[in-house]
Amino acid sequence: MTKARLGVLAACLATTAIVLTLGWAWHTSRMPATYAVTDMGRPDYGGGPRDAGHHGSSAGHAGTSPGRSEVVSVRDLVEARSTPADVTVDLVAAKQRFRLASGRTVDGYTLNGSSPGPLIEARQGDLVEVRVRNESVPDGITLHWHGVDVPNAEDGVAGVTQDAVGEGEEHTYRFVADDAGTYWYHSHQVSHRQVVRGLFGALVVHPTRHSLGEGDVLAVTHQYGGVRTLNGREGDVPVVAPPGRRVRVRVVNTDNAAVHVWSGGDFRVLAVDGTEVTGPTPVQQRYLTLAAGGRADLEVRVPRDGSAARVQVERSTALLVGPRGSSAAPAPRPPGELDLLGYGSRGDLGFDPARADRRFDYRIGRRPGFVAGRPGVWWSINGRLWPDVPMYVVEKGDVVVMRIENGSGEAHPMHLHGHHAVVLSRNGVAASGAPWWVDSLHVRNGETFEVALVADNPGVWMDHCHNLQHARDGLVAHLMYAGVSTPYRVGGEARNEPE
Amino acid sequence: MRSVYKVLAYLIALEVAVQAAAMVFAVAGLGIWITEGNSADEAAFEGMFEGDVTFTGVGGLMVHAINGMMVIPVLALVLLIVSFFAKLPRGIAAAAALLLLVVVQVALGLFGHSNAYFGLLHGANALLLFAGALHAARLASVRTTAAAERTYVDA
Repeated sequence: MTKARLGVLAACLATTAIVLTLGWAWHTSRMPATYAVTDMGRPDYGGGPRDAGHHGSSAGHAGTSPGRSEVVSVRDLVEARSTPADVTVDLVAAKQRFRLASGRTVDGYTLNGSSPGPLIEARQGDLVEVRVRNESVPDGITLHWHGVDVPNAEDGVAGVTQDAVGEGEEHTYRFVADDAGTYWYHSHQVSHRQVVRGLFGALVVHPTRHSLGEGDVLAVTHQYGGVRTLNGREGDVPVVAPPGRRVRVRVVNTDNAAVHVWSGGDFRVLAVDGTEVTGPTPVQQRYLTLAAGGRADLEVRVPRDGSAARVQVERSTALLVGPRGSSAAPAPRPPGELDLLGYGSRGDLGFDPARADRRFDYRIGRRPGFVAGRPGVWWSINGRLWPDVPMYVVEKGDVVVMRIENGSGEAHPMHLHGHHAVVLSRNGVAASGAPWWVDSLHVRNGETFEVALVADNPGVWMDHCHNLQHARDGLVAHLMYAGVSTPYRVGGEARNEPE
Repeated sequence: MRSVYKVLAYLIALEVAVQAAAMVFAVAGLGIWITEGNSADEAAFEGMFEGDVTFTGVGGLMVHAINGMMVIPVLALVLLIVSFFAKLPRGIAAAAALLLLVVVQVALGLFGHSNAYFGLLHGANALLLFAGALHAARLASVRTTAAAERTYVDA
């Protein structure tokens, strides 16, 4: 009898131990209905000085809180309001069935009735003003200026830098396009659904006295329902250019995974993620891997024999740049990959990464546990699951070195908002080419990148995986400046859901 | 408790069968989809798990992922807890072994994303898991004297 009782007792104890352990893990992973991202995770000062400890949200206007006179609200990090705009754009977002340029019908989201949305063009130094109205997107929308280092209030992240723009509402973005280059814009509200289904467009900032034309074309790649498109078209997409012309092809990857880009002949990589490459040399028999969210400007020359130059984006689509009616021979993907770590000629970084003020680790792994109450095997950052992830704290002017290590079993396109970082090394091999500035970096499984940046744009900035499904599943951290707080909250009345 | 144990064990076996069926359903559908002129690159592959890419059988991928990473582990864990109370000879050992096989199975599945050979082991381990689940279920099915149970277990 006693033995039987002991058995029952042991069974109860073992059960309690299992249930309590799992219950506790589940309980602590649950998120309140509304929270500030600045209250999330654990501060990481990267070996630099700690601030007064006032990271965190404020219910009202942080700048006016007593005793926190130095705290700046994200809301106030804007361009000068009085300056008149050089470029004004009106956009209307809708959820609808629409027709791609290829003729295919898609159930998704549009801007001004189409997807990709309108190309926005500006000249370097222009103040761009974009007014967007949400006509019929039930979840609300925002616009994030991917790759443009805008003031924080214009970054367009729902629940971090603004509230989602609900149906019937509108919002105006204002920023100075300081750097010429190829960028794109997309919703950062329920982005894992809205971007995949079409709520995005391209943004090109020209150096003064240039515009998109015969020598400068766009190639926005996107998959709608598994069908790859270039500028909304399928298969071989012709672009007219005379023989002998050098053409800049601006490839924008709006997908959740990397794409491979190559040419039938030689090409040069003129720019990566909106930054010009110094000393680009001709690339032969190599393909370029373009990170999700990344951009690359390739230069091809239209052959003189009347045929077209082929810029292939994956096997299914290509831009054929040549005289009207011209064709180009099919080009299988070359066996070798172009390594940007050693491409181009060395140049000045403008700062010394060796004198870093802060050093951070961003180790991506994968482990079982609970995220927001859901059991599963989830992405981890520095061994912990969202929301228990690092909050990288910096001060304005800091030189920051970040080590991104991926041991998660899958590739991750890492995207830092509001800044560009320069690659210092990969797997311990120092960068030897042109300064490789990125805002979207393809980090393969098993790779370790060291990147450096200058913290020169105060705010609260997402630093996340641009495979937007991965972001939704918790692969999101933030870079936060000491003394900056946000009045916005994830969830709440605006139903902010940035991922 | 004995019958709960039995039902759970049979459920795990059934789930393993569902996993195999779902995966082949998806792979067959994918093959047909490609044959129809579609290209499966990485972005398309990602979209298949999200309902953004549709073809007959694509749902098998989602079913496999949810079953494999959530439903089966939970079933195996509950089976272990039930085994504490079911008082079956070797019942706890069988449940613990099943849970271990499930953990190994999930790990092999995920490792398979970066090295296909783990996928090979994943498929083989599924059969061990299936056999183990049936074995556990039959432990609870033998409702006879202890002597008979021992005979069965030894057999």
